[in-house]
Amino acid sequence: MRSQKSQNLHSRRKRVGQVAAVAAGLATVLAAPSFAADVSGTLVLLDWASGSEQDMIKALEDGFVKANPGVQFKEINLTVQGDARGAIRAALQSGEKADIFINTWPAFRKELADSGLLKDLGGLWDSAKISDNLSQSWKDLGSSGGKVYGVTYTFGDRSAMFYKTDTMKKAGIDTQPKTWDEFVGNFKKLQAANVVPVAVGAKFWSHTEWFESMYEHLNGVDMAAKLTSHQIPWTDASVKNTLKKWAELLKAGCCGDANTMLAMDWDNASDGVMKAGTYGYQIIGMWNNDRAQATDGLKQGTDYSITQFPAMGAGHDDVSSVDTKEFSEFAGATNPAAADAFLAWITTKDAANIVAQHGLASPSNKVDASLYGPVQKLAADAVANAKLQFVMGDLLPGDLVDEYRVQLQKFLQDPSDATIDAVTQDLETKAASAY
Amino acid sequence: MSEAPAASFSTAPPLSGGDQRKLAAARWRWFADMPAAYLLLAPVLVLFAFSVVYPLIQTIWLSFWDIKGLYPPKFAGIGNFITLFHDATFQRAIVTTLLWTVCTTVLSVTAGWIIALLCSMAPRQTLIPRVLIFAAFGVSEAVTGYIWLGIFRPDAGGLLNSLLQGVGLGALAHPWLGDSATAIWCLIIAYSWAQTGLPLILIFAATQAVPRNVLEAAYVDGATPWDIMRRVIAPLSMQGVRVAVFINLLGSLRAFDTIYVLTGGGPVRSTETIGFFMFRESFTQFKLGYGAAATLVLLVAVLIISIPAIIQRTAAAR
Repeated sequence: MRSQKSQNLHSRRKRVGQVAAVAAGLATVLAAPSFAADVSGTLVLLDWASGSEQDMIKALEDGFVKANPGVQFKEINLTVQGDARGAIRAALQSGEKADIFINTWPAFRKELADSGLLKDLGGLWDSAKISDNLSQSWKDLGSSGGKVYGVTYTFGDRSAMFYKTDTMKKAGIDTQPKTWDEFVGNFKKLQAANVVPVAVGAKFWSHTEWFESMYEHLNGVDMAAKLTSHQIPWTDASVKNTLKKWAELLKAGCCGDANTMLAMDWDNASDGVMKAGTYGYQIIGMWNNDRAQATDGLKQGTDYSITQFPAMGAGHDDVSSVDTKEFSEFAGATNPAAADAFLAWITTKDAANIVAQHGLASPSNKVDASLYGPVQKLAADAVANAKLQFVMGDLLPGDLVDEYRVQLQKFLQDPSDATIDAVTQDLETKAASAY
Repeated sequence: MSEAPAASFSTAPPLSGGDQRKLAAARWRWFADMPAAYLLLAPVLVLFAFSVVYPLIQTIWLSFWDIKGLYPPKFAGIGNFITLFHDATFQRAIVTTLLWTVCTTVLSVTAGWIIALLCSMAPRQTLIPRVLIFAAFGVSEAVTGYIWLGIFRPDAGGLLNSLLQGVGLGALAHPWLGDSATAIWCLIIAYSWAQTGLPLILIFAATQAVPRNVLEAAYVDGATPWDIMRRVIAPLSMQGVRVAVFINLLGSLRAFDTIYVLTGGGPVRSTETIGFFMFRESFTQFKLGYGAAATLVLLVAVLIISIPAIIQRTAAAR
């Protein structure tokens, strides 16, 4: 009896198990990512891109619609100058309904995720096998608080210094500097040719790039992560020493006078390097690659190129500063099927090649590298072989980020030790209330 | 003994029966007209309620909340106002606002007044210059900003520096907008340039209202054109000057676009007015509560300027 009972029980368990397996299978099929089936309807994109970058977004949309003819895009275009976060917040608070949006600020991603506005893309990442196209480091860069919210579609090598080949020829510089000493040593040659060695457009932002590149090369990515998350104070010796190093550079005549730096925006600085040839180098971000070709009519690798930020010899020269652009999905997306499908599609070969054809670098390992021009290739290789650090300013909370920019402007006006003490103290005071 | 002097309370003679009936009829007409009056006013009142009263109440309400980005707001009471008045950046913005408002008003009204007086001596012949100067007032503030950005930019494309170099004064070329000492003055010049047209038209209109017999009497008495301009037209155009000062003060307090385009409040926040501070805190930092508190301070400043002027003009109208 016991054995028959046991057999019955076993067979019942088996049947239950089979039913459960079928149910689970059915559930899996039903809950399978909707992009596996045909997707359709309107996909609403909150878009703040402009110029040639907007052209690329449009090309991505067209590429996706070609693969999914049932989908049509609707764009909510935000016209912004500078930081777009305010406009995005205003759009969301005023009730704009979008499925997906473009993000480039990790701190903003966290703010949206903490507010419950973003969809956790962990499930999609696995079901759509995005890992086949994007490596773990891109997943980490798109994550906040251990959950992935962003699928990166392009990245910029922010440790790249742009230069014009004619300018270097005029100054008699045949090879680009690999070390800090070589870099500073070239200043005299550039100055003798009436070229200001470095264009720092400090009217709004690009002066922070120099601080960040120096900080990362002197202190490493771990310290940079601690500083941006306020695990170490802004009065830390690492910050002060970095500013002192920059003060040395300023005293060596790197960048012209402070007032000119503070009057120049990104575009003025780019014009100085790429068009007028009155400046030698500029750190600006890879969108300048597209700008140089589209606006200035220059040919990459021939008329201009990039060189990586010089090694400072402090044991952290394997670092590269990067920025990324990612698509994120809103938790309240009205067409989640199409949104999921699009996020999975942008990592594919077709999408990556569209990005590459527009002069930008794609993080997808499916990209056809032969589409890259010489500058894109240099940037992609540099990032592939480095420890990555996201642009530090984009990691800071909203309340601190503007203060960071302004305090570094103050430093440029008077790069003395007293100013360094005052600037770092002011930053720390602000940071104390910002996190 | 206990007779009360009733007349001591009212010196008016008692109304006759007919007068009392007339008064009652007038009162009745007044009450009867009330619904019609409010009906006619209703569209304006509704519009005013939606466009002014509601946003104002919302702003006051927001000013009591600590809002950071899209995070849930926390009630802060008067905390935002306390922080605001201890905020060194805001204190600096108040000083900048005072300098900006006084200088732009003085510059644009003075220039407008002088041009108006000159034009008043030959109204027909100066029609085209007047229209051209007034046209600048019609240009949007943002466009004004971009025009002057082209003039002040630091590189070879900057018109002012190019001109200085062209006339052999290259040593005076300067990054005008990058120097904290010169940036605010560049902004004042740019904004005043655009605003001069309004005082010009207002004051010119006042000069045209000067009675001809007064001018003729002055000529008969042997006054020169300069005397007439200085001693007759200028004093009699003061009413136009007062209106121009009032309007320009309010406009300057609210100015934003020119500052945004030319300097973005920099360098090192040296050109940040209260209006710009409010924008930055509200829409860049998205601290809506803090920005609302700054808005209310600006509103109080506007009211301090407007209320006496409105009272004065209302009294004058009566």
